[in-house]
Amino acid sequence: MPAAYETERYGMELQIQNLRKSYGTHTVLDIGSLTVHDGGITAVVGPNGAGKSTLLNILAGLMKSDDGEVYYGGSREIPFQKMTMVFQEPCLISSTVEKNIAYPLKLRKYSGKEIHSRVGTLAAELGLTHLLGRRTEGLSLGEVQKTALARALSFEPELLFLDEPCASIDPHATLEIEEMLLKRKREKGTTILIITHDLAQAGRLADQVVLLKEGKVVEACGAEKFFSHPDKEETRKFTGGELLV
Amino acid sequence: MKIIMEGVAEAFRLIFSLDEEVFEVVGLSLRVSLLSLLIAGVLGIPAGIFIAGHRFRGKRLLMRLIYTLMGMPPVLCGLLVYIALMRRGPLGSLRLNYTVTAMIIVQTLLIFPIITGLTVSAARDRQGKIRRLARTLGADRRQTMQLLLFEMRFGLITAVITGFSRGISEVGAVMIVGGNIDGKTRTMTTYISQLKGMGEFERAVAVGIILLIISFTVNTILCYLQKDPGEELRGGHAGGI
Repeated sequence: MPAAYETERYGMELQIQNLRKSYGTHTVLDIGSLTVHDGGITAVVGPNGAGKSTLLNILAGLMKSDDGEVYYGGSREIPFQKMTMVFQEPCLISSTVEKNIAYPLKLRKYSGKEIHSRVGTLAAELGLTHLLGRRTEGLSLGEVQKTALARALSFEPELLFLDEPCASIDPHATLEIEEMLLKRKREKGTTILIITHDLAQAGRLADQVVLLKEGKVVEACGAEKFFSHPDKEETRKFTGGELLV
Repeated sequence: MKIIMEGVAEAFRLIFSLDEEVFEVVGLSLRVSLLSLLIAGVLGIPAGIFIAGHRFRGKRLLMRLIYTLMGMPPVLCGLLVYIALMRRGPLGSLRLNYTVTAMIIVQTLLIFPIITGLTVSAARDRQGKIRRLARTLGADRRQTMQLLLFEMRFGLITAVITGFSRGISEVGAVMIVGGNIDGKTRTMTTYISQLKGMGEFERAVAVGIILLIISFTVNTILCYLQKDPGEELRGGHAGGI
C-alpha cells in the first residue's frame, strides 16, 4: 500500500445520461448528457437554484434521481469506497484533527504505521501539523475546511466532489486548498468535480467548466474556451456577471 | 435536625458494620434498577435513533405520547402493571405479582420512555449530517451506527443517567407490584417508606443517605464516561474513531 500511495495514479470518468430530478412539479435537474473527464478538474458553475448541489448529491450517492443513469468508470454501481465529498460546511467528528484525518483509513483497516505516515504527510501539505492534537471544536473555518479536505484525500479517492469548499474561508486558506487540489490532479490523477460561485477560482482550477441554469447544462467545455469564446450567449452573459444572481 | 444528624451517624454505622439487612436491600435495589436500565437502554436507544431518523405517519403523535409517558406517575404505572399481572388480569397466568421480575418490568416501563425521548433529542440535530458524512467516507452500516453512537455519546449518557435516577429513586410502582416483602422484594425506597411508618426515622434517614451515596457513585461512573474524550481517543476509542 505505501508504494502505491507514492506512485500510482487514480482517477475515474463520470458519464451522466438523461438525469432528472423533480420536487413535486418543479424540475430541478434535467441533464441530457455530460461527461466529467478522468483525471481532470471540472468546475460546475451557475446562478443560485441552478441545481448544482442537487447534481453533486446525486453523483455522491446521497440523493436518488428520478430518472437517468450515472456511469462511474463505466459502471452503474456507486463506488462509495473510491469516492468522497467535501461539504461547504463540513461535519467534523468531535475529536482531534488527527483522528478526523485518520478516520477513513481506519474504516479501510490500514495499518497504524501507514495511517501515521499518511496523516503526517497530508497535515504537512495543508499546514495542519501543529493542529493534529487539537480538538476540532475550536478550529477556524479555514482549518475546519482543510481538515475535511485532508480527511477526504487520506484514502486516495479516485473521485472527489467538493461543494463550494472555499465559500466561507479566507483567501490564504483558499489558495492552500486550491494548490492541494491541483497537486492531487497533477500527481495522482484524481478526478475532481467542484461547485463554485467564484468564477476566478473556476478559472484557476478547472480543465472543464459546466454552466448549469435551471437544472439544464447551458454549456460544458474547456476552461479556456468557456471564459474566452464560449458558444452560448448565456455563457457570455454569465461570465460577464449578468447572470450572477 | 437531630433526627437527620442521628440518621447520618446511623448510615455510617450501617455501612461499616456491614448490616446484612441493609446490604440485602441495597443489592436488590441495584439489581432491579440496573437490569431495568439495561433492558430500557437496549430497547430505547435504537427506538430513539429510528424515530429521529425516519419520517412516518403519526410521528408527532408518537413523540407527544413518549413525552407524556416520560412524566407518567409511577403509582399509575405500578397499578396498570399490577392489574395486568393479577390473577384475573391478561397476564395473570404468569403469576409475577410480588416478584422481582414484576418490579423490573414496571421500572423498565418507567425508564423506557425517558431513554427513548432523550435519545430522539440527542439524535435529531446531528443524525442527518453524521449519516451523510459516514456515507461519503465509505462507512458501512455498522460503521455508520458506531460513528453515530460515538457522536451522540453525551446525549446518550445523559439519557442513561436520567433513566437510572428515575429507577433507583422510584417507590410507588415497586411498592404496588413488589409488595415490599422482607428478603424478597424490599428495595431501599420501599424500606424507607416502611421505616417511616414504623417511626424509625433515624434508620429511614440512614437508608436514604446510603441511597444517595449509591446514586452519586453510579452517576459519577457514568459522568466519567461522558467527560471530554480527547485523552482516551489517542489510544483508539469506541467506533474505531
